Amino acid sequence: MIDPLLDESKARYRLTRARRIIRTVAKRVRPKRIGLRNRILIIFGVGSMILAGVLATTTYSFTRSSLMQQREKAEINLAFANARRVQNDLLADRTAIEIALNQVGDSHRLLYMDGKWTGTSQMFTESAIPPILKDQVVSQRKAAIMTTSVRNGQALIVGIRLERINATYFELDNLREVREALRSVQIALFFSAFITIMVGFGLGLFASRRAVRPLANAAQAARAIADGSLDTRLEPTDDPDLQVLTAAFNDMVSAMQQRVERDARFTSDVSHELRSPLMTLAASVQVMESRRDELSERSQAALDLLVGDVSRFQGLVEDLLEISRFDAGAVRLVKEPLVAHEFVRQAISVSSMPKTEVRVTADVESVVIRGDKRRLARVLANLIDNARIHSGGRPTVHVQFAEEDEPIGNIWIIVEDNGEGLIDGEAEKIFERFSRGAAAGKRSGQEGAGLGLALALEHITLHGGRIWAENRQDGIVGARFIVEIGIEAPA
Amino acid sequence: MMSVGISVLTVEDDERIRASVKLALEDEGWTVHEASSGEEAIEVFQRTTTDVVLIDIMLPGIDGFELCRNIRKLSDVPVVMVTARADTHDVVAGLEAGADDYLTKPFAPKELAARIRALLRRAKPSATGHAKLQFGNLEIIPDEGKVLLDHNEVVLTKTEFRLLCELAHDPGGVFSRELLLDKVWGYGYFGDGRLVDVHIRRLRMKIEVDPANPTHVVTVRGLGYRLQS
Repeated sequence: MIDPLLDESKARYRLTRARRIIRTVAKRVRPKRIGLRNRILIIFGVGSMILAGVLATTTYSFTRSSLMQQREKAEINLAFANARRVQNDLLADRTAIEIALNQVGDSHRLLYMDGKWTGTSQMFTESAIPPILKDQVVSQRKAAIMTTSVRNGQALIVGIRLERINATYFELDNLREVREALRSVQIALFFSAFITIMVGFGLGLFASRRAVRPLANAAQAARAIADGSLDTRLEPTDDPDLQVLTAAFNDMVSAMQQRVERDARFTSDVSHELRSPLMTLAASVQVMESRRDELSERSQAALDLLVGDVSRFQGLVEDLLEISRFDAGAVRLVKEPLVAHEFVRQAISVSSMPKTEVRVTADVESVVIRGDKRRLARVLANLIDNARIHSGGRPTVHVQFAEEDEPIGNIWIIVEDNGEGLIDGEAEKIFERFSRGAAAGKRSGQEGAGLGLALALEHITLHGGRIWAENRQDGIVGARFIVEIGIEAPA
Repeated sequence: MMSVGISVLTVEDDERIRASVKLALEDEGWTVHEASSGEEAIEVFQRTTTDVVLIDIMLPGIDGFELCRNIRKLSDVPVVMVTARADTHDVVAGLEAGADDYLTKPFAPKELAARIRALLRRAKPSATGHAKLQFGNLEIIPDEGKVLLDHNEVVLTKTEFRLLCELAHDPGGVFSRELLLDKVWGYGYFGDGRLVDVHIRRLRMKIEVDPANPTHVVTVRGLGYRLQS
């Protein structure tokens, strides 16, 4: 019976667990960080934008104020000259106001005389004059200049008191030249800002690539190390910033290499040390075996166990030694050309099931592979052992060209069995060291230590080939192990 | 048969291995002499009659290679080396030092016995029963186990002599490494081809006027070796 309370607490536990999982998942899907390269690019881009903006603004305002100052000075001089002429004209004829005003220049003028306003254009009337200016000039009788805004932008108005005719003269300069000059300055600044920003982005792109290059080198080195070339180091550099990274990286690799080598040496030393007692055991057991008949039944049974396990032990030590050689990178292949089908038949004939059927397709009869025949034979022996131990039925060996092989450059040596086949995920796992597959535990003490397939993988990889396991493709239950190896002389 | 009365000298510093190998070889009906170092081995070798020597390469004092060279100076007996690994330079170095065959540790004494028997087979060079075989300036007298180069006697080891006789069996014929491995060492398909290569090299050093440009034992590329005048 299930305790309802317990059940409830279990449910609650499950709920909190689910929440936690959701939280972790949520955390994981937060927006991706911007990469270093993009960050550098953005910094350069934004930097150049700010730079271009500040430069353009200051340049524009300086240009503008200096242009205005110049214009003001010029306008004041011009206005005074004009005013003097108007005064002189009006001294001669006080009524000819319009003539006098129109005689001078082409600017807008306005005259206040005898309480009456006379102007030269519709645009420039009394209402256009700011009251402060009017007050200064008309009431306080001072000359004054002022910037004011008119319909199409800014304008300068100069007011001058004409004492001799008791009038006030105003002149308006609508600053057209200044505006035009400023517009071309604006266009020029806009383009230069644009170019600056583009150059900034370009530099950013360049800098980001350059900045990441040492990282790419480091990544490449790390990958090489992961692939087993522990001698890989980063090139020493005279860049003080990179030196730190390079030195730390190389120190790390050295430390790691030392550890790996120490581990490999340990395995190797242990196996070497085991070989001497093993030698004694093997020789002594053989002496006892030749006197088997002299022993009692019980002693014979014990001797059989001893003989079986000495050879198992021997196999294990040899496998360990071979593995430690691979780990130390000390395996040297003694390669030679081998006629593929002949080699396979010979290898099977010295395996634990020498009568195993070998089927060779006609087209691979003359195929030659290149390899270390004793190591490759070990691979086949291990595959046969594996089939013998893990699947009751007799295996069959096939030698054929690789299926669906684009360039016909590989052959397959297939060891096919009638066992239970592979379960999901087992196909990769069985090539791991000391892995015995799902059927482990069911079997008797006949099986190996689980190094056979791991060694086969190492051997085949070193030969530049591939090895994998899959379920049989022909509808029959069972597994097949495929060794793919390049051919030396195509048929 | 010929295995009766074979006398083996085992040079091995591990006392227990020596004892067990002695027991196993004595089961074959052979006499076993022991030595725990190279120095002792020379002494025992000179004191006793020895048909074959088994040398562990890793010895205290003078090593297995040096011992092998020293024994070669004294005698043409077959020498079997015991190495740690088959894929190192040790094998080639051992063979070049004068060893006739090698075994990797741990080996089964039965395997050792089989190897020794193969090395002690008598040379049977000529089916036609010629007393003398002439190849230019090279002369082979099988019954006497003698080889003459320009009428001067050349000292060959037993295995070198058997290899030469094997080649002389079919003058001008091409012998593959596999065939020579089988005929001279009794190895099957998985024999080590380096045995043949190093022995051919050793043979050339002795019977060729210019070992770098051999005229008698020539290499047939991709096929094997051939003996010619």
